[in-house]
Amino acid sequence: MSVIAPSPPAVTAPPKPRNRILTVSAVVVTAVVLASFWSVDVTWSRLIDLPAEVARYLWLMFSNPTWEKLPEALAQTWKSVAMAWVGTVLGIIVATPLSFLASRGFGPAPVRWALRGVFSVIRAVPEIIIAIVILSVTGLTPLTGALALAINGVGTLGKWGYESIEGVPNGPIEAARAAGGSTAQVLRWGVWPSATPEFLSFWLYRFEINVRSSAVLGLIGVGGIGDMLTSYTQYREWSTVGMLLIVVVVVTMSIDAVSAAIRRRITEGARAR
Amino acid sequence: MTAKIPPLDIPRRPRGRWKPWAALGVIALITAITMSPQWGVAFAFDAIARNWQNGAEKVLQLLQPDWAFWPRTIAPLLETLQMAVIATAVGAAVSLPFSLWAATLTNPDRVSRGIVRTALNVVRSVPDLLYASVLVAMVGVGALPGIIALVLFNVGIIVKLVSEAIESNDAGPLEAGRAAGGSQLQVNRAVALPDVWPSFINQTLYVFELNVRASTVLGLVGAGGLGLLIDAVRTYYRYDQLSLIILEILVIVVVIDVVSSAIRKRLV
Repeated sequence: MSVIAPSPPAVTAPPKPRNRILTVSAVVVTAVVLASFWSVDVTWSRLIDLPAEVARYLWLMFSNPTWEKLPEALAQTWKSVAMAWVGTVLGIIVATPLSFLASRGFGPAPVRWALRGVFSVIRAVPEIIIAIVILSVTGLTPLTGALALAINGVGTLGKWGYESIEGVPNGPIEAARAAGGSTAQVLRWGVWPSATPEFLSFWLYRFEINVRSSAVLGLIGVGGIGDMLTSYTQYREWSTVGMLLIVVVVVTMSIDAVSAAIRRRITEGARAR
Repeated sequence: MTAKIPPLDIPRRPRGRWKPWAALGVIALITAITMSPQWGVAFAFDAIARNWQNGAEKVLQLLQPDWAFWPRTIAPLLETLQMAVIATAVGAAVSLPFSLWAATLTNPDRVSRGIVRTALNVVRSVPDLLYASVLVAMVGVGALPGIIALVLFNVGIIVKLVSEAIESNDAGPLEAGRAAGGSQLQVNRAVALPDVWPSFINQTLYVFELNVRASTVLGLVGAGGLGLLIDAVRTYYRYDQLSLIILEILVIVVVIDVVSSAIRKRLV
């Protein structure tokens, strides 16, 4: 009989950590997703020939875009961008004083909470619905679009505004107050210098958002590139639709690039050369 | 005789103070151009004054929601939520590999990374409603074009935010994985993915909030959900019914925002 070497003790791995909440929520989420897939009114079999269809339409749109309509497209784009700009400026003019009133330390509590409520209600409503509501007064004009963007902008700009005002370091504010500054002077010399970069940066960001939204607002007929795009989609003139989509992409991306460069310059300062 | 006070030495004003004013001037100029009647957005105050009566009536209607309309809104409301859920699920599933693909740490190959990033930049620059209106013409009216439009919109956002989160992660564990002999795929699977998980779920929830908001209006171009109803009541100028729909959107968006931001706060 040979001597068998004692076998090493079996390694028992510690049990895998379990997280009951995680399991339950994963199950619930899966169930909700499956239920939605199952109950939604979509014939999923249509998905089978979808890739071929999309390829066909993409070919129709981009194989030979109609460049003859480019001048009109650019004019309409300018209208959309103008709408976005006016909407941004009006939004800034209304939102900035309100955001001071809505920040802790400057506005009285009831005013503060009321304003914050108004901001979040506005943010919950899509701008196209705001446009539908106000077009009964202003009609189907670019002005309606600009006003809708301005109102929607008050919601976001107001929120970002009071958040960045509350994020300003306390030192300069206390110093301004200790030197006998009135509330307005405290805002001007204690808050504004530190908050400026952030304000400028999110104003520009809001302009980028508005450029996108202004194209969308055209769908209800207030003018601009969205208006032109819907009409040509309805005529099924795909080559023009393709050209318009190219214009939208190029214009949006270049405005984004310029605005992002300015924002970087504002928040990071000049780079040493 | 009084002692002479040494002259106060005030430092010179910093140069370049004209720059903010110049910027302000440029902004004012652009604003003036965009608001001029022949070049940009015309402010037609006379038309507003004329329509004021009409508008005031509509606003009054808005303040009196037509509660009897409620039963007819249930089905479109459900469809809106279904579209948002499905689009979020599909969008998130599609985004995960693309996010790993678009980040430097998990995809060192510059060419393929550049292709993915550029393609997604292009996808992101078209608003969801424009996608929806083109897709409706392609695949017909219904929830399907809405879902596809939302998926496109979601992939653009999730991939951008998650790949940025990957970039800001610590490169150490990935190097360790590579040093242990893992291929890029194995390293991504075993090291990068667990790191990405919280931010991925966070952004998915955020996109779900956006989807709920967006899906309520996609129907305006025929892509299903509450928007179809909005379009119908708006053509009949039933602002009392519109106001009920807006209230419902408000309630849903606020409830989902609160729930999802509570979950997100626990995640991070």
